[in-house]
Amino acid sequence: MDDRLQCEVLVVGAGYAGLAAARELRRRGVEVLVAEARDRVGGRVWTETTPSGALVDHGGQWVGPGQDHLQALADELSVGTFPTYTTGEGVELRQGRRSTYGGLIPTSDPAAAAEGVEAIFDLDLAAQDVPLEAPWTAPGAEALDGQTLGTWLGDRLKSPGARSTIDAAVKGVFGAEPGEMSLLFALFYLHAGGGLMNLARTTGGAQERRFVGGAQQMARAMAAELGERVLLSSPVRDFAYGDDAVVATVEDMGGTGSGRGSGDGEGAGGRRTVAARRAIVAMPPAVSARIEWRPALPAARSQLAMRAPMGAVVKVHAVYDEPFWRDEGLNGQLVADEGALRITFDDSPPGAEHGVLMGFAAGNDSRALDRLPDGERRRVLLEDLARAFGPRAATPVELVEQRWCLEPYTGGGPVAVCSPGMLTGCGPALRAPVGAVHWAGTETATRWCGYIDGALSSGRRAAAEVLAALGR
Amino acid sequence: MADAAEVAEAYAHWREMCNANERLRRMLRGWDRIVHLEATDTGDGFTVSVRDQTLGPLAVGTDGAPDLVVRATSEDFADMFWGDLNPSEKYMSGEIVLAGSQEDVMRLDAMSMVAFLDQ
Repeated sequence: MDDRLQCEVLVVGAGYAGLAAARELRRRGVEVLVAEARDRVGGRVWTETTPSGALVDHGGQWVGPGQDHLQALADELSVGTFPTYTTGEGVELRQGRRSTYGGLIPTSDPAAAAEGVEAIFDLDLAAQDVPLEAPWTAPGAEALDGQTLGTWLGDRLKSPGARSTIDAAVKGVFGAEPGEMSLLFALFYLHAGGGLMNLARTTGGAQERRFVGGAQQMARAMAAELGERVLLSSPVRDFAYGDDAVVATVEDMGGTGSGRGSGDGEGAGGRRTVAARRAIVAMPPAVSARIEWRPALPAARSQLAMRAPMGAVVKVHAVYDEPFWRDEGLNGQLVADEGALRITFDDSPPGAEHGVLMGFAAGNDSRALDRLPDGERRRVLLEDLARAFGPRAATPVELVEQRWCLEPYTGGGPVAVCSPGMLTGCGPALRAPVGAVHWAGTETATRWCGYIDGALSSGRRAAAEVLAALGR
Repeated sequence: MADAAEVAEAYAHWREMCNANERLRRMLRGWDRIVHLEATDTGDGFTVSVRDQTLGPLAVGTDGAPDLVVRATSEDFADMFWGDLNPSEKYMSGEIVLAGSQEDVMRLDAMSMVAFLDQ
């Protein structure tokens, strides 16, 4: 391939945002190239068949009511969905004791649960006052942005049981501790996704359905439409931009990635440049900060990238011969107040040909887990599963970990979390184009921020900006 | 199966309990709504109004334009109103269906959970 490429629009990142943007532009006759650092498309959505033959989604995997962009794409591409398994009771581990519960909220301590529900209710109502397009203009924005969700919860909740339940939900949703994120950001995020209750739900909520064949296949289909316009294993290292043109220096890593995560080393294939009239950068803000920008980005944009770190999450799949917990009347869901895995789901295939328990270690639990050697991590995870689902859970056919913090082109997951002061100080820079550079990625979405649906809408929004700029 | 009189008797119990619960009354602040209950097995319909942080009595029949519609079996309505059934569990299994705006659904869902937990 030539070492100098030219196109009208360069899209950086072949996750759902970048692919949606490129597809939209291509459909309007715009010549695009998509530079993707990894050796695969999909970004934070990655479906893999494991050595035991199980199909697992290492990243985003669900679709729920109101995620209209994602559902429409699945319909267009004839990708079917099936409901998340919810029949039976969940398991609650609290203060060393195991119990089961029905519904959304663990009920071993009803008074604590009621206090927790009221707090979620109040959060969800307060979230509705935060404007989705400009959260920094919310009533009392500076005060909200000057504290963390953790301080709000600490002031509000008296019962340790209520706090641990909400902490588990927050960590599952954000991949971060409540004390890591601005309250204003948390409220914005909840509003964008219909509230914490909605984000925590299976039926009727964000975890309602899964994709037959996995969540990455729509990304693969979009990439297939774009054909050779998608350059894999091509991380952008250097980005020169002006008002009417960009020139990116792209590492050519030759598509030699391992497949288990993407290499971050220097490529063997040298470098090439891509010149374009506009660019769409579709990646988490913190990752965009790793590119060398010439000239340097404006202060607000640069600071924004540093003050919106990624959440921390390890996603774990334990594969079994059968979903044995179902015979015991359990739905595979866990809420725990200790251990590495605080939340699990039944992630078995639609026909239950085998059983899969999927769990998240998030926030500090993720970082603590990541510090352990391989064998020790496995022991910790299996002990957590066995505590919740019995001794059979300790002997899976296969245990698969996806450690998102070790992914160099994401650096964590599932989403960037805004530190206190970021939104009011730098928020308007989130989507504001800088010269010929436009920004996409789920973090820039105003609906379903942090979700696949938000990635899609952000890509389309950025594409519309570029089309307007090109006069098309 | 519960007939209309049995559902009404259970609701009267639930209403008294809810209206005496300070947490629930706080959650009802500023939320005046008309709710229809539709029993999917008997075909009975009921109307409840929420006004000034208070649940009103149950009226037989579905009158007026509802803000929210709740669909469940008559037995589930009765069991929920007696406090024997966790509505969140039935909502999760799809056996109780709520229809309305996202905010109204969220409010009713949270309130019914608290009513069950706080009894």
